[in-house]
Amino acid sequence: MSSQPLTPAETEAFGREMDALRHEVLADLGQRDVDHIRSMIRLVRYCEVSGRALLQLGLDPVTFGLGVAALATAKIFENMEVGHNVMHGQYDWTRDPALDSRTYEWDTVCPGDDWRHSHNYEHHTFTNVIGKDRDVGYGLLRLTEEQPWHVAYLGQPAAAAGLALIFQWGIGLHDLRLDELLTGRQTLAQLRVRAEPFLRKAAWQLGKDYVLFPSLALFNAPRVAAGNLLANLTRNVWSFVIIFCGHFPEDVRMYSESEATGEGRGAWYLRQLNGSANLEGGRIFHLYSGHLSHQIEHHLFPDIPAARYPEMAPRVRAICARYRQRYNTGGLRRQLGSVAARILRNSLPTPRSATAHAA
Amino acid sequence: MTALQTTTPAWANAPLRLRAARRLSTSAVARRLFLDRQVDFWLGQLHPAWSLTELRARVVQVIDETHDVKTFVLQPGGAWPGHRAGQYVPVEVEIDGVRVRRCYSIASAPGDARVAITVKRVPGGRVSGFLHDHVRAGAVLGLGAPAGDFVLGDAAGSGLLLLSGGSGVTPGMSMLRELAARGEVRDVVFLHAARSAADVIFRDELRSLDRAHRGLRVILRLDDEALAGPLDEAELRARVPDFAARETFLCGPPGMMDAMERLWAGAGARDRLHLERFVAARPRAATPTEGVTLRLSRSGRSLPVGPGTVLEQLERAGERPAYGCRMGICQTCRCRKRTGTVLDVLTGAVSSEPDEEIRLCVSVARSDLDLAL
Repeated sequence: MSSQPLTPAETEAFGREMDALRHEVLADLGQRDVDHIRSMIRLVRYCEVSGRALLQLGLDPVTFGLGVAALATAKIFENMEVGHNVMHGQYDWTRDPALDSRTYEWDTVCPGDDWRHSHNYEHHTFTNVIGKDRDVGYGLLRLTEEQPWHVAYLGQPAAAAGLALIFQWGIGLHDLRLDELLTGRQTLAQLRVRAEPFLRKAAWQLGKDYVLFPSLALFNAPRVAAGNLLANLTRNVWSFVIIFCGHFPEDVRMYSESEATGEGRGAWYLRQLNGSANLEGGRIFHLYSGHLSHQIEHHLFPDIPAARYPEMAPRVRAICARYRQRYNTGGLRRQLGSVAARILRNSLPTPRSATAHAA
Repeated sequence: MTALQTTTPAWANAPLRLRAARRLSTSAVARRLFLDRQVDFWLGQLHPAWSLTELRARVVQVIDETHDVKTFVLQPGGAWPGHRAGQYVPVEVEIDGVRVRRCYSIASAPGDARVAITVKRVPGGRVSGFLHDHVRAGAVLGLGAPAGDFVLGDAAGSGLLLLSGGSGVTPGMSMLRELAARGEVRDVVFLHAARSAADVIFRDELRSLDRAHRGLRVILRLDDEALAGPLDEAELRARVPDFAARETFLCGPPGMMDAMERLWAGAGARDRLHLERFVAARPRAATPTEGVTLRLSRSGRSLPVGPGTVLEQLERAGERPAYGCRMGICQTCRCRKRTGTVLDVLTGAVSSEPDEEIRLCVSVARSDLDLAL
């Protein structure tokens, strides 16, 4: 089922129902939410220490494998369940400085301040609006017929695979707006200023994983560097998969700027819903995804603690059913296949009949 | 400088190393390596009171003073900067996941190794209720830096009147305890008003101090004894004939404070009267705003409040606060509200909590606001 258009009155009523759900959960936030995020922080710290210890001190392939797994888990949980969610302000109500969205700094090359702008503001306000949400294809991929085709897009399946491997660098570079250098909207001097925090953070990250910890391991340095690299790659590919499955399966809608201007709260909720897709899975899977497997709930309620999304999902789904809106969800394999199909299809020029149909 | 200030206690030098470590751990370098969070996390794993970024204290004893007053004896961490008698300290507790702060006057003397706060249970009070019901010996509380100008200073050498009502006894008690510890109780009148004998906080200690020091006269004025009605000039003149000549430190309920202030002004001794007012959380104002003011405490500006959100008002007045989505999702415009009541237009919630983070783009003023801008 695809989403049915709603009358303005229905759109407003839809927004009111979403608001009511939001208020209900906000009023219920308390100790268990703080306990949850603190237990996640504990998990990250203990995983990181044990992962690094296994890599630094071990000699055999078994401790290497375990070390990589523990360190990758630490990075994935730190980035997705802790960093991403804390930086959204999901825990600002606690007034705990360790959970403060404005000062949190995470374990990736993307500086927290850049992320707070490009993600919290641009992506979450202008979700899937072509030309406004720079997360649509990250300026690299063509994901909809409405983006004009270019011969370079023939290579986008390979580009997407490459992006997956270096995803943290893609996100870090994202806010530098390198494309605007080519179009003249940004001068080299402006770029230099903009790039400074990124370069500094990247240097620290590289120094930590590939100089500091390997050199502490003395003769074991190559093993430590390789382990850190594998952990970073694992985190990159995993976060790429979760994020692409959240916004780019087939049938996830893209919007034009004119559609999104002057929209009320109801229409904003609708765009968030139709611009996102969920992944189904068990509790561990949801935790590993930072609950971004509930991308729909996250986009509807970006500042509600993500661990609440699983219990909100059935109610969101029921509201969607009543308003004849599609609730795009599926298993990882299905959604990832759908993303791949979309990337492949859009790497080719759109057949004329399809354009005519779309118009 | 008076004797009180010259003998700066031992704390001033001892925690220097600690402070240096603290600075290092919170430096930019450490932040890049996530060291501040790492170090604080592992310290917290070892002991909940240990932290390099926050000041914490362990509760070592809880004393029942009266039926609705308890004293909490705290052992602060090494970074505690010490206090001056009469000052208050912000105390932070976590209630259902939310950190809440209130200021309490310190009752102990500055030289003591431990810090005592004396807390009256406020009917319906969230923090005082929590402290009374849930905080036992062994609990860990957050502390802010001690503050306040209600201190003896140069007055310590002259004739003193420590005047208090109800739980306002604490700052004066800290002063008296310090003077007693230093053997400097030369000419002090301690006049305390309470509802009944059972409501007198520190009654036994006041009695024994009274016996031990010839320079001290303790007067307990109880409402339920013959002399009903509030303390007036005639009674004051009868009890402390030279009150206007004494440096007076007054802390008590608002009615008492106002009456005494008028009385001292009438006697031409207003400049010898020092006051400490309790700043209680303001009551919730439900009505929309007329004639209320936005105060920006960093820039010192004051703006009249008109219609619209706080963000719109600030912009209309030429301020340029940071903002993003203008619809309450991105947190860019978050700002600390020191005091005042705001309505959250998204949730309809009205909040008067002091030192609260608000989003300017979805907040409407419901009283005078003091913002950290």
